Amino acid sequence: MKIIIVGAGEVGFHIAGCFAHENKDVVVIDKDPEAIRRISDKIDIQTVIGSGSSPVTLEEAGVREAEILLAVTDSDDTNLVACLITDMLSSATKKLARIRDADYDAYQSAFRDHAPHIDTIINPETEVVKTIGRLMSVPGAVDVGEFADGRLKLIGIRMDENTRLTGVRLSRLPEILKDRQLLIAAVVRDEELIIPRGHDRLKPGDLVYFISEADKLIHTLEIFNKHTQPVKRVLIIGGGRIGFRLARQLEEKSIHTKIIEKRTDRCNELADRLSKAVILHGDGTDQGLLNEENISDIDLAITLTGDEETNILASLMTRRMGAGKTITKIGKFSYFPLMSAIGLEQVVNTRLSAINTILQHVRRGKVLSAMSIKGEQAEVLEALALETSDIVGKPLKKIAFPKGALVIGIMRGEDILVPSGESVIAPGDRIIIFAVREAIPRVEKILEVKLEYF
Amino acid sequence: MRWKYIFYIIGILSLFLGLAMIFPLLWGLYEKEQSFIPLAKAMGITLCVGLLLYRFCKSPKTEYITQREGMAIVALSWTAIGLLGALPFYLDDSFINFTDAFFESVSGFTTTGASILTGIESLPKGLLLWRSVIQWLGGMGIIVLSLAILPFLGVGGMQLYKAEVPTPVPDKLKPRIRETSVILWKVYALITLAEVLLLWLGGMSLFDALNHAFTTMPTGGFSTKNASVAHFNSAYFDWVILVFMVLAGINFSLHYQMLRGKPLAFWRDSECRFFIATIVGLSLVVSFNIYGSVYHSIVQAIRYGSFQVVSIVTTTGFATADYEQWPAMSQLILLLCMFLGASAGSTGGGMKCLRIMLCCKYCYRELFAIIHPRAVSHVKINGKTVPDDVMRSVLVFLALYMGLFALCSVLLAGTGVDFVTAFGAVAAAIGNIGPGFGMVGPVENYAQIPVMGKWLLIWCMLLGRLEIYTVIILVVPEFWKK
Repeated sequence: MKIIIVGAGEVGFHIAGCFAHENKDVVVIDKDPEAIRRISDKIDIQTVIGSGSSPVTLEEAGVREAEILLAVTDSDDTNLVACLITDMLSSATKKLARIRDADYDAYQSAFRDHAPHIDTIINPETEVVKTIGRLMSVPGAVDVGEFADGRLKLIGIRMDENTRLTGVRLSRLPEILKDRQLLIAAVVRDEELIIPRGHDRLKPGDLVYFISEADKLIHTLEIFNKHTQPVKRVLIIGGGRIGFRLARQLEEKSIHTKIIEKRTDRCNELADRLSKAVILHGDGTDQGLLNEENISDIDLAITLTGDEETNILASLMTRRMGAGKTITKIGKFSYFPLMSAIGLEQVVNTRLSAINTILQHVRRGKVLSAMSIKGEQAEVLEALALETSDIVGKPLKKIAFPKGALVIGIMRGEDILVPSGESVIAPGDRIIIFAVREAIPRVEKILEVKLEYF
Repeated sequence: MRWKYIFYIIGILSLFLGLAMIFPLLWGLYEKEQSFIPLAKAMGITLCVGLLLYRFCKSPKTEYITQREGMAIVALSWTAIGLLGALPFYLDDSFINFTDAFFESVSGFTTTGASILTGIESLPKGLLLWRSVIQWLGGMGIIVLSLAILPFLGVGGMQLYKAEVPTPVPDKLKPRIRETSVILWKVYALITLAEVLLLWLGGMSLFDALNHAFTTMPTGGFSTKNASVAHFNSAYFDWVILVFMVLAGINFSLHYQMLRGKPLAFWRDSECRFFIATIVGLSLVVSFNIYGSVYHSIVQAIRYGSFQVVSIVTTTGFATADYEQWPAMSQLILLLCMFLGASAGSTGGGMKCLRIMLCCKYCYRELFAIIHPRAVSHVKINGKTVPDDVMRSVLVFLALYMGLFALCSVLLAGTGVDFVTAFGAVAAAIGNIGPGFGMVGPVENYAQIPVMGKWLLIWCMLLGRLEIYTVIILVVPEFWKK
């Protein structure tokens, strides 16, 4: 499978890294020789220096044999043109463009109808807003993924010192939990992903990933001593594009929202476009302002300024001054390991959100949604079990599943099943698969439709 | 620096080398000669060393190898492989001391082809085949080979590849380094096979055909005969070997393109044009120079003249004539050819045509800038601008090459050899050619060089094969700082 990535920025870099690990043929195009040098030093890929919107460059990168083209440069225009040119040269290639400007939002459907040369438009900012929404819906969760139209949730939660499950062997879980079943998919311990087995214990500080039905979530969270308190008052620091989108959504849900924004013009603009939210002109790290606005009564502070260092400091400050929870937006991937160390667990990242969305469109077979787990060490896929794929019609334990991959949920019609070794997948079921990075190519193979020749 | 990991990889490469010893060993058994005993012993030792390193330095898979580690791995592996590859020679009675065995082995792996053997023909066939096999392995690079066969390196492979195949403008044929290595080796093996067949059909014994093909394609130059290719005294063999030397001196990615059905690839590449033009031009000059004074027929002059020019420009080092008897102009041209070298991305050594071309173009640009002080002009190769940092690294390479050549010849002269020998031997070693001038001319060999001189030349050969940077970096104190 050959994939061309236009743009060697952070999104391009990480997507390229993901695919190179899965032994796909990756070609990266970028104008900047420095960026190309950096990426080819680190990742085993082919590179082409040039503009991604130039037919000559695309031809040189071998666009005619490519299965997928990802246009993820910083410039929306370049991305659109790259898709257009690719369509001209090789219409069979699947084309994805990242578009960030909010102006395009209203025209999503027009793009679908009138721009057949772009298969999918990815807007990382809307994805971030969705991610924030998911994090808000599950208090205490570090990572939330939704599958089966939001009916199944994959939740990553940090183990506390003294819950009922701390230090318990996994094989004893059914005894303790009785009727409430809990399927633990993975544990991240000291930045390392472990697929736990029966004799493993859960330790405090572990990041535990489990799957749960949305309506039973509250009970499940109680096991981990996390109690739901509905979020009523939200403070958004940074009224940029994401802040605005989020505020508008919160308004719809009648959540009391305050936005702190530094630039006067932007404040005016926000005040024009939002009706209920309180727009405050000032600095998000200004103690006086925060005190004045009763920061200690705020349930959730979300820091979304363009400067990640400011976001981190503002989150720490609001937390210290009594805000219930914080969600911090950061840009650099290299800050991720640091964040849990300084106590900021709930983090969003536009690029990671973009990557998650891209993954879903790139996977073979009929993949409905995808989510990559901390540090891209593993992935969760929701896929449609196709009639002629290898996965259908046999008990799970008889399927040659690769090491490090497991089925964590099956949705048949309206029912949600917790799979066991005996479960048989029927055609048309939606299955949720957890897989470590090494196992992904083989999982894709299982999901793929077998071509049968008679 | 993760030393454990570095030694782990060296262990794997040693295992590899041990397995490669099976070929000469089997040949030795087939010939029913005693040589399989030293080969079997050497194979045992090499496999043990490999296993021990593999066992005790086993480290988890890593996601990356730093540039520094990559260079250390490559430079140390080549040293280790040189040492282990010397074992079959050392354990046989033909070599008196370890220095000689090590010299022969490194000369093989670096595809230099300088020998200390005075009686090559008396050596058992198993060992002769081993000499050729190590050249063949060293030609395309033992690390590139292991990248092709073992999937274990993946990401880090890029750093190793760059350290072993340091072309000024690296080109990857395929997105993944493994596939690129596989292709390079396939092309290499295919051309080698073609040469074996042609030589064999021409009447050479299968053993000689195999050996000569194994040493032509890596531009090595070991022969199974004391008199090198001159022994056969056949125009057919001379021309076949000449053609394959030229092929070996061309960038292998062009061979790949040609095999994929783009016959014009050779012509479109400006370095290849430069390389061919240089060979043809210099061959004609040398042929005319020796016509009349040495050879009395123009056909013979062209045959011997062009063979020697090609042999030296491609850094192979086969001999069909004693060029030290030729006129001074021819000798001087051959000496300068030692510096020129083959194309980048070929198996040849030397400074490489690409660097010389870039340097010439850069000089012209400077002159142009004097005439048009406000002109904006770039150095271009194949229609593409060469980035400044590449240009800088090329110039530094040339400076280092000349500097090290000067330093090493002075040091070699210090061990007591004469003026011409010091010059010729160092030029031949650092350019991975083989025969030099003076005491180490095409009809003599390196046996007379003092022990210290041999060690110096071993170092020069490694410097030349890994294109200076990878080896010289190890003596820079900054490299060892934590």
